[in-house]
Amino acid sequence: MIGIEAADASGINGAGLIGDANPLRPRNTILKRYCLIAGFASVVLVLTGHVFVFQTDWARTGGLGQMLKTAAWFLPNLGYFPSILLALFETFLIALFGTLIGMVIAIPVAVLAARNVTPAGLASYWAGRVTIVLSRSVHELIFALIFVSALGLGPLPGMLALAVRSVGFLAKTTAEAIENIDIGPVEAIEATGARRIAVLLFAVMPQVFPIFVGNVIFQFDINIRRAAILGMVGGGGIGLIFAEQIMSLAYDRAGTVVLGVVAMVLLGEYISIRIRSWLL
Amino acid sequence: MALLEVVGLKKTYPTGETALRGIDLTVNGAEVIAVLGLSGSGKSTLLRCINRLVEPSEGLVVLDGVRVSELDRRGLQRARRHMGMIFQEYNLVDRLTVLENVLSGCLGVASTWRAVTRAFRKDDIERAMELCSRVGILDQIRKRADQLSGGQRQRVGIARALMQQPKILLVDEPTSSLDPKIGAEVMDLMCAVADEHNVPILVSVHDLDVATGYSKRIVGLREGRIVFDAETREVDRSMLQSIYTDQDAA
Amino acid sequence: MAVGEHGITVDDARRDYRRFVNLGRLIKFIALLLFCIFAVWTAWYMNMPLERLSGMFGRIGTMVFNRMMPPDLDYAMTGNVFYSILETIEMSFLGTVYGVLLAVPVAWFGAWNVTPSRTICYPLGRAALVLSRAIPPIIWAMILVVILGFGPMAGTITLVLLTLSFAGKLMSEQVEAIDMGPVEAIRATGAGEIKTFVYAVLPQVKAAWIGIIIYNWDSSFRASTILGFVGAGGLGLYLRSTTQLLDYERAMGIILVVIALVIASEILSHFARRRIR
Repeated sequence: MIGIEAADASGINGAGLIGDANPLRPRNTILKRYCLIAGFASVVLVLTGHVFVFQTDWARTGGLGQMLKTAAWFLPNLGYFPSILLALFETFLIALFGTLIGMVIAIPVAVLAARNVTPAGLASYWAGRVTIVLSRSVHELIFALIFVSALGLGPLPGMLALAVRSVGFLAKTTAEAIENIDIGPVEAIEATGARRIAVLLFAVMPQVFPIFVGNVIFQFDINIRRAAILGMVGGGGIGLIFAEQIMSLAYDRAGTVVLGVVAMVLLGEYISIRIRSWLL
Repeated sequence: MALLEVVGLKKTYPTGETALRGIDLTVNGAEVIAVLGLSGSGKSTLLRCINRLVEPSEGLVVLDGVRVSELDRRGLQRARRHMGMIFQEYNLVDRLTVLENVLSGCLGVASTWRAVTRAFRKDDIERAMELCSRVGILDQIRKRADQLSGGQRQRVGIARALMQQPKILLVDEPTSSLDPKIGAEVMDLMCAVADEHNVPILVSVHDLDVATGYSKRIVGLREGRIVFDAETREVDRSMLQSIYTDQDAA
Repeated sequence: MAVGEHGITVDDARRDYRRFVNLGRLIKFIALLLFCIFAVWTAWYMNMPLERLSGMFGRIGTMVFNRMMPPDLDYAMTGNVFYSILETIEMSFLGTVYGVLLAVPVAWFGAWNVTPSRTICYPLGRAALVLSRAIPPIIWAMILVVILGFGPMAGTITLVLLTLSFAGKLMSEQVEAIDMGPVEAIRATGAGEIKTFVYAVLPQVKAAWIGIIIYNWDSSFRASTILGFVGAGGLGLYLRSTTQLLDYERAMGIILVVIALVIASEILSHFARRRIR
């Protein structure tokens, strides 16, 4: 944590034989460290108090008992489960295609953002990098809002929102992989007089392919979770149903939806692991 | 007209280090020319400046009448098709098969569509297989390149370079990463095949025995300058001494 | 080294190759075809308005430039909104601190090699990690808002859970990768589980954990900017209100502030990471 400076040897005056518990740790360093921890802890406590005491309407929240009772309302109503299966399937598909579209877009962006293969020097490099940063800084809900207003409600804007969101991570990791490739084969293919795209395909791509695929699978896994909430802003999938159940106070059904989401996520993880071992 | 002419070639890297200080070299026919020198003498840079994997700072390179050093990007790509290069570290694409690596030699002429789909022309595949057979790796063609031994990989490198049907072979210390016996086999093979196809070889070496054993002509390089250029049988002791700097002279 | 020593001729090789390549090509083609059919079916099944895609960029462009520009940044700096920015940072900070405090024991419990009890603690730890990770943060936020009411408390606890799921998992993986030697040595002195953890495990993972915590701060902060959308405190609330009122210029102002904050936080963590090295 904060304050781990190497014990300053010059601080050992009256070298710890009397009064110091640990002769290896001079007094001033310990004091400094405790002060820092105390300062940090007091900040945390003050803020905690602020959030948990002043900002919370304890009258409405009730005490611990009330909280537990409210939590219990969420216990799943299993009879409701079959009605959400279709929506879960839809969510799964949104995640799948969102990831695939994102994968396709990420490839050229990664090439732009890789210092060693970027086609137009600093300009294209920065274009690629800025795209990556934007994709990662904006939450998928915001992207979904934008796409819904341009395309109407439905799963398509959801897929596009996920695609755009995924580009950031995929392009960033792929660009890093490209920057780390062995330059030897690239020189060799260049030496045959191949044009740029052939060099990329033959010398660069095979080297980054395993990393790329692994990351696509990882991103698919994450996208399943993201897809589950896009419905709230009209992006299709189970998010809308969840929001509806909460608003109509049908908390047990909401709990069922959560159960469904967990099941879908776990299924997605299982599939990811299988595909990963099959492909790599 | 000479096949390859190098005039006044100089190279100074951005770091300030000067690798070549004015090289003049001529290659006429299908001969094996060894460029002999210590590490750092500029052998590798010289070869790479000829096909412009490294851009020369000054000087002229002319291959079969074409002023390579002055070509634009497109022209350079076309010119490189005629120069086959063999590397010390083989530089194969590990994840691709042996056959695909050899076929990558004709990427210079393949259309973009063929490169994307990896659908090479039938006669190209035919020729690649024959080259593989000639260099002795026909039984390995479906193996991934990283599953081969060093000697086998270099043979793939030779096949790939010859796939281009080049006018000249630029070879950068082909056996430095191989143990002597395998290295000798590779050198034998390379010189034999090049001779069959009537292709001159410009090969950089740091080992005198390799130079005398395979080449008809030796060019001695020291600190970026040519210190001698003579037929192998005329090379004597004083010439050999001159490639060493005063510090390494025994 | 004679040619043909390997016993096959070029003709054999050619035949083999053709068969092999053609089969490979056929399989790839069929797979691609099946996938395209699947994609088309999905588009049909979900009634996707593909025809609207063609005008999409135009529409987004119009929407962004006509309705969202110029971004109303003054709005973003007004009292309430500015306060919510501070609240976002506050939530993020507390969520990370408590999240890490919770993640340490959970990472320990969830590590197969040093968990104090393989029958009780390990399943508990693992379940905590899996469950917190399987439920998207916004859903957690909505549930907590119902239980705890609107406000940053729900948001903070959501972030605690998020930190648990993200940092906790990575931290647990680090623990599972340690050298067991020192652990055995400390255990051999008769030290209890907690002491073993502190003296044998902690020193080995400390460095990696700090990196993980910094990495986690990034994604925590990003999530915190949006939690307000469902009432869990922070800037997200104003995003919702502005879009519902179709006040797009103000919404854009908020979005830009969010982007700026996220970038600022990333720069900070970048420097923090440098200093640790």
